[in-house]
Amino acid sequence: MAHLAGLAFNMDTLMMTWLVMAIVIGIAVLATRRLSLVPSGWQNLLEMLVTALVDQIDSVMGSKGRALAPLIITLFLFILIANWLGLVPGLTSPTSDLNTTLGLALMVIGLVQVLGIIHKGIGGYLGHFIQPFWWLLPINIIEELSKPLTLGFRLFGNILAGEILIVILGVLVPMWIPIPNIIWLGFSVFVGVVQAFIFTMLSMSYLSSAFKDSH
Amino acid sequence: MVELNATLIAQIINFLILVAILAKVAYKPLMKALADRQARIEGNLATAEQERTAAAELKREYQEQLAQARTQAQAIVEKATKLAEQTKDEIIQEARAEHARLLKEAREEIARERERAIAELRGEVVSLSIAAATKIVGHNIDAATNSKLVTDFIDKLDADKMGGLKC
Repeated sequence: MAHLAGLAFNMDTLMMTWLVMAIVIGIAVLATRRLSLVPSGWQNLLEMLVTALVDQIDSVMGSKGRALAPLIITLFLFILIANWLGLVPGLTSPTSDLNTTLGLALMVIGLVQVLGIIHKGIGGYLGHFIQPFWWLLPINIIEELSKPLTLGFRLFGNILAGEILIVILGVLVPMWIPIPNIIWLGFSVFVGVVQAFIFTMLSMSYLSSAFKDSH
Repeated sequence: MVELNATLIAQIINFLILVAILAKVAYKPLMKALADRQARIEGNLATAEQERTAAAELKREYQEQLAQARTQAQAIVEKATKLAEQTKDEIIQEARAEHARLLKEAREEIARERERAIAELRGEVVSLSIAAATKIVGHNIDAATNSKLVTDFIDKLDADKMGGLKC
């Protein structure tokens, strides 16, 4: 914990976040340092990822989604690396801090509201809160508020649980029986991918709803 | 870890910085590379299609030319055959004429030889007859009379006995 200008910061989380950023940028630079017509190595990997995500964006969000492609791709890469970082002994995942996950979720949902206002106008944006009936307004507001909460807490809970279990397994199981640890680590790698994918896909579908005229 | 504080804002800013950096460093060049590749592949495909069409055209042309050449070759062979036939006939005709000419010459030669031989023989016979007659008669008539006598005799001989025969 550090305090700056009366604000509290979790220095541990910030450090880990910067490390994740450094890794992601490193991979991106490594992959795009020598772009060639015939891709190889890191370029191949990143191209595969980017084309897969861009295809998803095109199919979920339509042609307008292309402008958000850098955001979506970065979201996936950042969360993926952040999830995996906690699996390295001595490091923790930035995504096991609620500040990170809720921050990302709020950013996405905030963007949804902004895009909704830009796309539909103020009237259209506010109008969709009283559809299909005016008395559904509270439900619509709760729905809108629940989106960032579920999005943020889901990722946070999964990654925090994974890290806690790694620590607990290390305490409970003697060092000379490494099998449970290895299995759990492997599963955590899988969970890291799945959670990053879920967060990205849900963000995409929320963002695409801002482009739609009504739903 | 669970309490919320200013880290939340910092993380949003961190993430937006990361988005900006990645968009500039990786996303734009990568999309450009992808677009370039797509353009290149499309270009290559178009070029290949063009070349295929050109090749088909060329093939058609060549086949046409080949057919033409074949027809021409046939015509040339036919012409040559005709010419050869003609030449053959000419040669045979010439040979025939030559043959006839030679035969005629040979015949004439033979006839001349025979005339000459007959004339010579006649002279011999005359002088032999004169010699024989001189011996038989015992005295010699003057040469001119002798010669006339025998020549007349032989001429008569020719006319009487040998006139119808061809030697």
